[in-house]
Amino acid sequence: MSSSRRFTGPIGGLLALLLGGFALGMQASAQSLDYGMYEQLFDEPVTDSATGKPQRASEAPANIEIITQDDIRRSGAVTIPDVLQFIAGVDVRSYGIADAEVGIRGYNQAYNPRLLVLVNGRQVYSDDYGHVEWPTIPVQLDEIRQIEVIKGPNSALYGFNAVSGVINIITYDPLHDSINVATLRGGTQDYRSGSVVGTGQIGDAAGVRLSLGGFRASDFAPGNLAPAEAVSRLSPMAGVFNLDARVKFGAGVEGFFEASDADTRYAEENFTDAFDTQSKQTNSFRAGVNADTSIGLLSFSAYRNAESVSIYAPTIADLPTWGTEAVIVVQASDLVKVGAEHSLRIGLEYRNNAATSPGAIQGTIGYQVYAASAMWDWQIAPALSLTNAVRVDTLRLSYSGTLASGSGLTMADYNNAGFTVPSFNSGLVFAVTDRDTLRLMLARGVQVPSLIDFGWQIPASQDSPVVTVGNPGLRPSIVYNAELDYDRAVPAIDSTLRAALFAQRTDDLISEPYAATPVIGPAGLPVLQSANVGSSDAIGVELGIKGHAASGFRWNASYAFVSTTDHTTLDTGPLTTNPVDYAQAVPRHVVILGLGYSHGAWEADVMGRWQSSYRDYQATGTGPYLQPVEIDNYVTLNARIGYRVTDHLLLSMVAQQFNAPSLIQTAGPPVERRLIGMVTIRF
Amino acid sequence: MPCRNRLARWGPPGLAVLLLLAGAEPRAAMAASLSPQEVQVLGKALGFVQLPPDGATTVAVVYASGNAGSRADAEQIAAEIGDGVRVGSIILKPQVIDVAALASIEPAVIVSAADANGDAVMRASRARHALCVTAELAAVQSGSCIMTIRSNPRVEIVLNAEAARAAGVVFPIAFHMMVREL
Repeated sequence: MSSSRRFTGPIGGLLALLLGGFALGMQASAQSLDYGMYEQLFDEPVTDSATGKPQRASEAPANIEIITQDDIRRSGAVTIPDVLQFIAGVDVRSYGIADAEVGIRGYNQAYNPRLLVLVNGRQVYSDDYGHVEWPTIPVQLDEIRQIEVIKGPNSALYGFNAVSGVINIITYDPLHDSINVATLRGGTQDYRSGSVVGTGQIGDAAGVRLSLGGFRASDFAPGNLAPAEAVSRLSPMAGVFNLDARVKFGAGVEGFFEASDADTRYAEENFTDAFDTQSKQTNSFRAGVNADTSIGLLSFSAYRNAESVSIYAPTIADLPTWGTEAVIVVQASDLVKVGAEHSLRIGLEYRNNAATSPGAIQGTIGYQVYAASAMWDWQIAPALSLTNAVRVDTLRLSYSGTLASGSGLTMADYNNAGFTVPSFNSGLVFAVTDRDTLRLMLARGVQVPSLIDFGWQIPASQDSPVVTVGNPGLRPSIVYNAELDYDRAVPAIDSTLRAALFAQRTDDLISEPYAATPVIGPAGLPVLQSANVGSSDAIGVELGIKGHAASGFRWNASYAFVSTTDHTTLDTGPLTTNPVDYAQAVPRHVVILGLGYSHGAWEADVMGRWQSSYRDYQATGTGPYLQPVEIDNYVTLNARIGYRVTDHLLLSMVAQQFNAPSLIQTAGPPVERRLIGMVTIRF
Repeated sequence: MPCRNRLARWGPPGLAVLLLLAGAEPRAAMAASLSPQEVQVLGKALGFVQLPPDGATTVAVVYASGNAGSRADAEQIAAEIGDGVRVGSIILKPQVIDVAALASIEPAVIVSAADANGDAVMRASRARHALCVTAELAAVQSGSCIMTIRSNPRVEIVLNAEAARAAGVVFPIAFHMMVREL
């Protein structure tokens, strides 16, 4: 009943110095969610992303897709959006070699605000403009255990912006997983990248994982972009660092510390559908403790994300300088099992967001959020469970600076603004048989206006005689979702079939300032102001099957359909400032196929995606005006072949979009065929 | 009560037809004896016990005194374990033993074969702080054993939390949340 402890890994010695004999006296106890051990026990992935309660993926009251490290490797992906584009119901737009927008079940757009992305529960969603900047996520693909894609709203657990869905990126646990790997990649478009991940452990008492990675490339050719847009695109590059440390303080008590830093530069399509190059430095610090006690699993954590941004767009004479943003989040929760049938989780959260920009905000816009949540999971019968979760968020807005003259806004408008908003998730899971599971889910999600939706402040100038401002009176968007899922295991072909039917309604859609129809303000100047602009409905179906065989073959096939109807006041005319036309903004039909085979040291995979046409928008290069661009249906095919030379050396070749040298996938630059060679060394 | 009689007569076959129409199948019955896969699950579950065993771990495979069927079941389970099943750092070593002699050894795990469950097994489990595992769900329901396992068509673990607590076998909260508790 004892366990040996030893210093392992290249940084184990450093750990030993840091922790000394303190760690050596600790008792071993698997108290936190050890994904690897539970996955081995139940022969399926586990997650706590659906409700906050650890669950087998098949029993979670949510439509959740789990992408494993094996899936990531076999996909040949070099970015996380590369992985996601072959998931049913997920829409990925590539606006460049590094810039991607990801949406779930419709509603994708440049700077998509509706998808919450987290790393081990820490948000990497930027609240300033309200979107996810994928290249800044400080995680190497080699250190990801699984990517959890939750479709549909999940605000009752995560709060704001978990409305289209949630993507939680789960990295390996330095306490339980010793990951030591280096990967070098090179290919067309002058692509060069490298990463190294190292883990040090002191027995099972402490562990730390460090990772470092970066890339550079030449971006895709501009295609039909207006010259004013094309010159704003600089070649992308990024360097990111991440540290993840965990310590056992005693039986059932663990502490953790995480730190990250990212320095990125990449061309992007911004929220006005114009192109620029963004240089962004981000960092984060997080610390917390989990304690398995007689009153439940107590968790406490606090983190701070910070970023500093500058924008390059040489043809815009009065380009407002951007600045900094920071968010501090403090979370506490208790998860307890009451009797054999009930699990309860209560949580408290505090958030403090602030964005400062001398040019675009003329000061600092921020808000504080106080939230309380509760989850009750009731195992009604061995095959039937009901989960209900509710959360209430109270937001108080604040602004300091100089309001844009001519807008009519006052400081009182900002400093008395805010709202209290509830959200909920309910899920009924019925294991009809050992092979058949039905899930019925209802949800109310909340999307908060971004900081610039609240606080943008651009006065009229000689070049632009329009006042452009945010709106402190904005209401949050409310997303209602009803969904029925059916899963069936088909052991005869080692497969799982999944069908999902959903209906969704969004009230109080939010448009960013430039999307508005101008009105004449109190100073007689035209005013563009962010606003609540109506509602939208969506219905959809997803059908998929995924499996593998002992012969070495694996396969997946899926079809996704979504139909969206808008009821908005937005102008969708031929020449508009509004980049949002949800009814046309994503393909209605998507078919995904994948086939792979492993034999000995070899593995080969081919993945294909066909999608129907959709409408995107492109800046005209003249003022804020946009023109619609119809994107025809297209097929993209990827392939990878890998050869494991030894247990320590893996060689692979990847062809992305090998079926076409260039494809128009968005209103941005055409996506080019990419050939990439990879060398992976495990040590 | 003709209405109730009709329900009693046609209810079960009607439900079966509905399930078949839905492409469903009734839930399978629990296996009579631990399979090799279930022994593997047992080894993995041991890894979650606070202060888990390490290295060679004695598994007492207990049969009912004077019960040939029970003894045969115990020997079958022991044969599946063979010279030792390794799961992580744990090596399960079987020892077939009459329930009447159980108090004479100090196992970390007790596997109770068919018909062997009862007070003697429960007392030994509590005295040795040993995890008791059986294929008989009724024994777990009654609290005379702690856990039952099946592996086909999917892994299912049923845990009597009170029995575990009484035996001083402590699992983390996450484990309790992911198994079926009685």
